[in-house]
Amino acid sequence: MSEFLEPLQYAFMRDALLVGMLVAAMCALLSCFLILKGWSLMGDAISHAVLPGIVLAYIAGLPLAVGAFGAGLFCAVGTGFIKRNSRIKEDTVMGVVFTGLFAFGLVLFSKTPSDMHLDHVLLGNILGVTRSQVWQTIVLGGVVMGSTLVFRRDLLLICFDPSQARVMALPDRFLSYFLLGLISLAIVVSLQAVGVILVVAMLITPGSIAHLWTDRFDRMLVIAAVSAVSATVGGIFASYHLDASPGACIVLIQALGFVLSLFLAPKYGLLARRSARRLNQAVPARR
Amino acid sequence: MTEWFDFLVTPFHYDYMLRAIWVSAWIGGVCGLLSAFVTLKGWSLMGDALSHAVVPGVALAYILGLPFALGAFVAGLLAAGTMAFIKAKTRIREDATIGIVFTAYFALGLLLISLFPARVDLKVILLGNILGISDPDIRQVLIISLITMVVLALKWKDLMLFCFDPGQARAIGLPAGGLQVVLLALLSAMAVAALQAVGACLVVAMLVTPGATAYLLTDRFGKMLWLSAIIGVVTSLAGAYASYFFNGATGGCIVTLQTLVFLAAFLFAPKHGMIASRRRIRCAATPSQS
Repeated sequence: MSEFLEPLQYAFMRDALLVGMLVAAMCALLSCFLILKGWSLMGDAISHAVLPGIVLAYIAGLPLAVGAFGAGLFCAVGTGFIKRNSRIKEDTVMGVVFTGLFAFGLVLFSKTPSDMHLDHVLLGNILGVTRSQVWQTIVLGGVVMGSTLVFRRDLLLICFDPSQARVMALPDRFLSYFLLGLISLAIVVSLQAVGVILVVAMLITPGSIAHLWTDRFDRMLVIAAVSAVSATVGGIFASYHLDASPGACIVLIQALGFVLSLFLAPKYGLLARRSARRLNQAVPARR
Repeated sequence: MTEWFDFLVTPFHYDYMLRAIWVSAWIGGVCGLLSAFVTLKGWSLMGDALSHAVVPGVALAYILGLPFALGAFVAGLLAAGTMAFIKAKTRIREDATIGIVFTAYFALGLLLISLFPARVDLKVILLGNILGISDPDIRQVLIISLITMVVLALKWKDLMLFCFDPGQARAIGLPAGGLQVVLLALLSAMAVAALQAVGACLVVAMLVTPGATAYLLTDRFGKMLWLSAIIGVVTSLAGAYASYFFNGATGGCIVTLQTLVFLAAFLFAPKHGMIASRRRIRCAATPSQS
C-alpha cells in the first residue's frame, strides 16, 4: 500500500492531484448541461480555437487566460454568425471556423519567438504546475463551479426546453451566452491539466456516464462529478506507476467507466435492457 | 526588384520544398474531391473524429514497424464501428458518442506514444511533417489517394445520391449500407493521407472547408466536385510554398488559406454569399413599399 501511495510524498504530485480534481469536477458539472443541450462538439471547437488567443496574449503581454477566453468566445459567436447568414449546416461551419482559428494560431506561433512549448498547450503539463497556476485554478474553477451550481435551474431549462424558457420570460439568449462563457472559462482553466485535445473528453464523458445511470438532474450532477474526480485520481496514480502521459491515463479511465456503465447501468445499461426485454416476452399478457 | 524575385523563388531551390509542394497539392486535391461528399452528407464531425481516432493505429504501426496506413485504416474503421454500436444501443446522443469514442481512441494513442517515446514523434502526428516526408511514406500516400480517386470516379453518382437522399437511394435499389461503409473507408483513408500533410488537428479542415466553400459557389454537384478539388489543390500548393517563410508550419499555412478562401466566398459568392443575399432581401423589400 505504501508503495502505491509513494507519489504523495512529492509536492508536484500533490499539486497535480489538487488541480486535476478541481478541473475534473468543474468540467463534469458543465458536461451534464452540454450533453443535454447537444453541444458536445462545441467543447471540441472552442478548445482548439483558443490557440490564437493564447499566442496573441503572449505577444501583447496579457495573461494567457484572457486571450484564450476571448478567442473561445469569438469562435462560438463567429460560428453562430456564419450559420445564420449562409446555407451551410452548423456542424460544417463549426469545423471550418475552429480549424481556421487553430491554423491561424499555428502560423502566429511559428512567427513568435517564445519559450512556450506547443506540446504543453496541446497536451497539458499537469506534473509541472506552478504555485500561481494552482491558485488560478482554485479561483477560476471556484467561480465556474459556483455560477454553474447557482444558476443550474435556469441553465437546465434552456438546455432542456428553450421555448419553455422563453415563455417563462427567462433571458434565454443571455443564458446561452452565459453557458458558452462558462465553457470557455472552464476550457482555459483545464488547458493546464489535460491540454486542448483531451479537454473534450472531460467535457463529454462524465455527463454521458451519469446520463446512463439516472433520470434526475441533481443526481446526474453528483454522479458526473464523482466519476470524473475518481477517474482523475486513478489516472494520475496510474501515470506515475506506468510512467505514461497523465492526460491519456485520465481520459482512458473515464472511457473505461463509460464502457462499464454502458453494460451495467441499472436501467439504461445493455444487460438491464436485455433482461427487461426477456421479461416482456415472458409475460405477454401484461401488454 | 530582382532581389524580391530571388527571395520569392528561394523555396524552389530546395528539393524537399518542391517535394512537399507537389505532395500537398496532390493530397489537397483528393481531399477536396472527398470534401464535396462530406459536406453534402453532413459528416464534418465524422472527419474530425476519424482523424483523431487513427492516432493509436499510426502509433502501433510505427512501434511494430508496419506500414502506418494499415494501422490507421484499421483503427479508423474500428472507431467508426464503435460509434455505430453505441449509437444503436444507448440513449446517448450521436454527437456525444462521437466525442467519447474519438477522445478515448486518441488517449489510447497518446498512452502508446508516451510508453514508447523513441519510436514515434508526437509532434509529427499532431502537426504533420510534410517537409520531412520519407519516400516510403510518399508512396503510401500516393497509393491511398489513387485508390480513393478510382473509387470516387467509378461510384460518384451512387455516392452522391446516397449523400443527398439516402431514402431515394434505397428505393432505387442501391445498397445504402454498403455505400456508407465505402464512404467511411474513403474518409479514414484520406484522413491518414492528410495526417501526413497537416497533422491530426487540421485534417478535418482539408476534408470540410473546400467542400463548404464550393457549396456556397454553385448549385450543381458536378461543378461543386471540380471547384472543391481545385480549391484544395491551389490552397495546398500555395500553403506549402508559404510555409517556407513561416518556419515550416505547413498545416497552419494551408488551412489558414483555405479559411480565408471560405470567408471570401461567404461574403462575396454571387448567389449564396452574405452580401448578395442581403441585397436580394433589400431589393425584394423596396418595390412593396412604393
